[in-house]
Amino acid sequence: MLLKRICWVFSIILLAAVSAHAEPTIEEGKSLFGANCAACHNKNMKDDLTGPALAGVEDRWADFPREDLYKWIRNSQAMVSEGHPRAVELWNTWKPTLMNNFPGLTDEQIESIILYINNPAPPRPPDEKPEGATSGGGGNNMWMFGALALVLALLAFALMRIIDNLRNITRVQRGDAPINRTLAQVLSTKGAVAFMVFALTLIFGYKTVDNATNMGRQQSYQPDQPIAFSHQIHAGVNKIDCQYCHDSARRSKHSLIPGTNTCMNCHSAVKKGTITGTSEITKIFASIGFDPITGQYIPDYENWSEKQIEDLYKKWIGQEYMSANSLSAMNETGRSLVQAEWEGVVKALKNDSNGKIQGPIEWVRVHNLPDHVYFNHAQHVSIGQVECQKCHGPVEEMEVVYQYSTLGMGWCINCHRETDVKFQDNEYYKQYERYHQELKDGKRANVKVADIGGLECQKCHY
Amino acid sequence: MHHDNGIWVSTEDLNKEESFLQAAEKEFSVENMAETDGNWTASRRDFLKLMGFGLGAATLAASCEIPVKKAIPYVTKPDDIVPGVANYFASSFVNGGDYCAVLVKTREGRPIKIEGNTLSSVTSGGTSARAQAQVLSLYDTRRIKTAGTIEEGAVKAMGWADLDNKIKGQLQLGGNVRLITNTIVSPTAKKALAEFMEKYPNSKVVTYDPVSSAALLAANQQCFGVRGIPTYKFGEADVIVSFDADFLGTWISPVEYARDYAAKRKIKSMKGASMSRHYQVEGKMTLTGSNADNRIQIKPSELGAAICTLYNEVAAKLGGSSISAPALNDKAKAALKKVAAELVANQGKSLVISGSNNIMEQVIVNKINDLLGNINQTIDFGTINNLRQGDERDMARLIGEMNAGQVQVAIVWGANPAFELPNAKQFKDAFAKVNTRISFSGTMDETTALCTHAAPANHQLESWGDAEPKTGHYSLIQPTIAPLFDTRQAEHSLLEWADSANLNRQDEQPYYQYLKSHWASELFGSQSKYSTPAAFWDMSLHDGVFEAPAAATTVSFNPGISLNAAAVTQPGSSEVEIAFYETVNIGNGQYAHNPWLQEMPDPLHRTVWGNYLSIPVEWDGVNEINGWKGLNDGDNVEVEVNGQKLTCTVVRTFGQLPGTVAIALGGGRETGGCGVGFGVNVNPWLPVDGGLTQYFAKEAKISDKVGVDKKFACVQYHHTMGVTAMGKEEGAIINADEKTLGNKGFQGALTDRSIIFQVNLNELPELSEKMAEFHQKAKHLNEQTLYPDNTDFYGTGLKWGMYIDLNSCIGCGACQVACVSENNVPVVGKTEVHRHHEMTWLRIDRYFYGDLENPKVVYQPMMCQHCDNAPCENVCPVNATNHSMEGINQMAYNRCIGTRYCANNCPYKVRRFNWLDYTTADTWPANEEQVFWAEGDEKPYYADNLVRMVLNPDVTVRSRGVIEKCSFCIQRIQEGKLTAKQENRAVLDNDVRTACQTACPTGAIVFGNLNNPESEVSKARKEMGPLAYQVLEEINTRPGVEYSAKVHNANEEMFS
Repeated sequence: MLLKRICWVFSIILLAAVSAHAEPTIEEGKSLFGANCAACHNKNMKDDLTGPALAGVEDRWADFPREDLYKWIRNSQAMVSEGHPRAVELWNTWKPTLMNNFPGLTDEQIESIILYINNPAPPRPPDEKPEGATSGGGGNNMWMFGALALVLALLAFALMRIIDNLRNITRVQRGDAPINRTLAQVLSTKGAVAFMVFALTLIFGYKTVDNATNMGRQQSYQPDQPIAFSHQIHAGVNKIDCQYCHDSARRSKHSLIPGTNTCMNCHSAVKKGTITGTSEITKIFASIGFDPITGQYIPDYENWSEKQIEDLYKKWIGQEYMSANSLSAMNETGRSLVQAEWEGVVKALKNDSNGKIQGPIEWVRVHNLPDHVYFNHAQHVSIGQVECQKCHGPVEEMEVVYQYSTLGMGWCINCHRETDVKFQDNEYYKQYERYHQELKDGKRANVKVADIGGLECQKCHY
Repeated sequence: MHHDNGIWVSTEDLNKEESFLQAAEKEFSVENMAETDGNWTASRRDFLKLMGFGLGAATLAASCEIPVKKAIPYVTKPDDIVPGVANYFASSFVNGGDYCAVLVKTREGRPIKIEGNTLSSVTSGGTSARAQAQVLSLYDTRRIKTAGTIEEGAVKAMGWADLDNKIKGQLQLGGNVRLITNTIVSPTAKKALAEFMEKYPNSKVVTYDPVSSAALLAANQQCFGVRGIPTYKFGEADVIVSFDADFLGTWISPVEYARDYAAKRKIKSMKGASMSRHYQVEGKMTLTGSNADNRIQIKPSELGAAICTLYNEVAAKLGGSSISAPALNDKAKAALKKVAAELVANQGKSLVISGSNNIMEQVIVNKINDLLGNINQTIDFGTINNLRQGDERDMARLIGEMNAGQVQVAIVWGANPAFELPNAKQFKDAFAKVNTRISFSGTMDETTALCTHAAPANHQLESWGDAEPKTGHYSLIQPTIAPLFDTRQAEHSLLEWADSANLNRQDEQPYYQYLKSHWASELFGSQSKYSTPAAFWDMSLHDGVFEAPAAATTVSFNPGISLNAAAVTQPGSSEVEIAFYETVNIGNGQYAHNPWLQEMPDPLHRTVWGNYLSIPVEWDGVNEINGWKGLNDGDNVEVEVNGQKLTCTVVRTFGQLPGTVAIALGGGRETGGCGVGFGVNVNPWLPVDGGLTQYFAKEAKISDKVGVDKKFACVQYHHTMGVTAMGKEEGAIINADEKTLGNKGFQGALTDRSIIFQVNLNELPELSEKMAEFHQKAKHLNEQTLYPDNTDFYGTGLKWGMYIDLNSCIGCGACQVACVSENNVPVVGKTEVHRHHEMTWLRIDRYFYGDLENPKVVYQPMMCQHCDNAPCENVCPVNATNHSMEGINQMAYNRCIGTRYCANNCPYKVRRFNWLDYTTADTWPANEEQVFWAEGDEKPYYADNLVRMVLNPDVTVRSRGVIEKCSFCIQRIQEGKLTAKQENRAVLDNDVRTACQTACPTGAIVFGNLNNPESEVSKARKEMGPLAYQVLEEINTRPGVEYSAKVHNANEEMFS
């Protein structure tokens, strides 16, 4: 429903903007595709998603007039009921999944989308390194330091020998017996011991402070989640925009873990996972009360007993198992699979704070800021236009999400030191008259976040 | 008898006593730590033991796993809730006759803050301390959680259906039913009541008010044929004479009156500055009296005489017949003669009001207004104020009926007669004779404890409802959270018991539908803006208010009324009279269970947690000021009124007329919440005259000192700044703060410190000149500085600043409670306040000046001044407090190590230290023992998760051992800036409004960007010219807060 509404709004906005974009372009097509189609159709154009892959759509509709394709996009069900052969064929393949209506799209806009479908984004150039791939350099440095230390140690040893020899020469000249100190004797002199104590204290102290700073930090924290949700599939393969699910990031301090109803926008149609089958998606259904067999929400799900829920979803899992394996009756493997998957549902949804299946999914929070820190996503996402990946890492490659950054204060501060403020684009920054003057006069190349108070305590601590 | 030194705060200050110096030194009162229960002495061995334990604990803690945190999303996310973004709902605060149109701020579906609703023409966005504190009472752990029968003061749970059946069974027996209520201002609730009474014709509503205005209502009925309270237009009156009516604090509609009153008294420009003149005739000092230009002191029993005297004076000038006024003291008599002359000169533009509860006195006041032509001018009977409707004489009749066994069912709704009535004892005895006694109360108050059935109503923040505070001014109440407990709206219960056909029980919120249909049928027709009831409802709910002002109507004084001076109170002749009054925070006990209000210092006495006996101070005619009978603050005395003795704690009060004492109502609650055990219940002392409760007694016997309140909690001597005193040894006048620091002789030590500037209106130009000179001098002094010049640093971008108009500040304390609510400032309890450990970020300093026996008062809200050259910042060894380029003195709690150097070095004494774990923020149970812990609770107040729901999630909850202070509501600043950025525009005044600013009913506090010359705050400062000043300007701290000089408009010749 929400998705539909969003689509409507987009359509209306686009309709209003139509006169400005009469000529179809790939760029326009890309943005239209992102806004209207990408939620159901795969961005790689090759694989099916909620809806079919769109590559070659022109060829498939080649037998019919172009207008038919337009009509299909604007209102597919109308064509199905009219009995259009291509429409009926598609419906039979994909029902009960409905395609949303897009009455607001103009012919030109649809052409733009088709243009984009035929020319999707070029693949990432091979020389572009993914972020965070530079960590190998640190090891090399260590080797260099090690070698240097070794050389210096040898040098120090050699110097010590020279001093000893010189001292012995003078002793001999004075007529005293030379003293030949062993290495052990050298190392146990007052100076050497003092130096070593000093060095150890320094190293120990440094390590202590360093480790103490890391206390409470959870970089690389990768907990198990109640649902084996894969960002790699959703954000990577299916290219769903981050903010489609984390829709508060642009307007609130929290990015928000989406409610089950957001999942259902797609999963009311996508009822089985490509890898996990029924085992994970059934958990969503059991949380919100969706009957995947009838495709309907269960009206008084709140009051259902656990037995009722168990019967329904076991039936669903079993039915899917049988159809996947073309069985006409349940076998032993199937029964144990159904039982195992059901137990997985119970484990994921039933817990101490919620003693029943129905209700919210308790995810394990991955990113925990240190205490006493105020962080606002909206400021960074909407105003700073920071890419999600900058802090969260390559989430689209993560099968299970882990904490990519340290989330430590030094890490925040460094970014504030290095990042340019989008100074010219926002009227808000007009008040920094001096900076604008300096920019104009060429005295200043840019304005960093630090220049407008980004390092001050009460930007984040209050 | 003018005191040379200008301003003072107390007798010790005036006497320049060593004890005052010591009190001033006790900023943190460390030595008191040892006085209290804990064993705080520590030996070297203890130190080693603790250190060993500490190391061990730290090691253990470090090796522990980091706890797994959960993130729980919605199942179906509501469209209108974005977690992390606040929602505001327009609603109303109504409690009996207290009303305020409000916005309720909710976060993730829980109410956390009350703001004023600017769309209401009644309160215009102002709030009161009581309204601000409402949100805390929602999360009261002592709320009754279920319906049921009441046995031995506790509720025995019973389902609502069972309760309904039982009560309906009782009602259907056909006996007499009585509903006992305070004033009800809800038209829809009245409709529900009407339905109930239709179903049970033997039922009757009996209404009284906790503090009565019955005489005023009765007098208006006699004089004008209207049993109602008119709209008083304080904003249109040039001369205001108030006979003991505390209209700025507690009388009828204080938020509305304060706004109008202050508007007429703002100095907008130096040229032709004008303001109204306010005479207050009273014996004790009320909040209103403390703001008056001239106070005329009388004994409480002389009020009738004073009214008659004024009448005679006015009548003599305007051709009325005179009456034989009872004797009045000569001073007051002479003063009233001058008042009369001024009133006569301002006919139609003056206002005379009285708070007395004697019908003839109110009739004479009406007559005075009639003679002056004020009726239909400053007194508008076209718009009736509905906030007081009760008559305690009905209660007396009810007690008679109950005693006679004529009442079978009693339903108590919002009233607490077993505590509030002067004849509570008779009420209790009679009440016991009623067969079925039902209470709607949400807490186990004194009356509910006597009932047989509890049908607990929702808290107002969980309820639907409406209010009509004034004719044609409607206001909606909407729930902002689902009921926390198994409670039900009182209106719903009544309709349920009445088997109402209009209540759709199938509906999720039946009373909501009932309310909506009432608005559609009754109010929709009175407007033409919206064409459908649905649109009308939606917009009204959005706005919170709907106003359909009544057509102007005029009334005329009933010529048949004869004035009878014999019917007014005759002056008493005893040695000591006692007056009883309502405070802005506690009322008559209705708010005693709200810790925010209990810990808000009384504006005048600055005492907390209880009611104290105000006694006069005496000047020995030479050089000593002493408490009456040699009593000191905190001494206990035995007071006997009407043969009943109570032990009260004394507080010496300037402006208290010799021969009189006064004590506030509302102390000594017996059941129902955390206010139990604080103060004394003086309601049984209230005399009843002609059925009407009198708020004074002609005779009180007061013993000598019988003991001391060891935990006497008065913030008067805490955090004093810049007050001079005399050292006993050197005999010279020295600065108390500098003495504390030991910096005698350094800059600022012996200068006249600039804290308060005050003047009478006629000398305004002189003060202006004087202040211009002072600014010059301070500027010159401040040029000799080691501080770097930061003009450029602060000159770009934003620079936050505040302006406080002392002329508008009436000291009501709404800002203080708003600050506590917004910033998670903890309640510390009486013991801790006694130890100088109160945590409020904003305090309202009260200074006296002028005549020692009848001084004037200045209130000064004092919070962190955000000095650009902040003395606190330099001394912090860990740089936990430093300055931002937006001019904010920042406090990083997690960096603070608690040396308290900053607090020591703060000249304004606004930094607060967390001596204990007040909010139970960390998990060591040993830390919880001494924090605020209400009697009978299983854990400290803040340790309860229900109470913690009130915390503002955007503000850190501070732990033990750190300093905290006003942050200029930094969370609001950050939010406002983000809004501006998202909307791609500059920051406007409305983006950032501090909690104290929005709470203020008079608009005394203005906040904004000083770098923008067009901002409200820049303009306000500029307009005031030299009258705007910084506190301690001469010590070069460069504060971000400016104040304006206090201007009074006193009739100077009156006392000469």
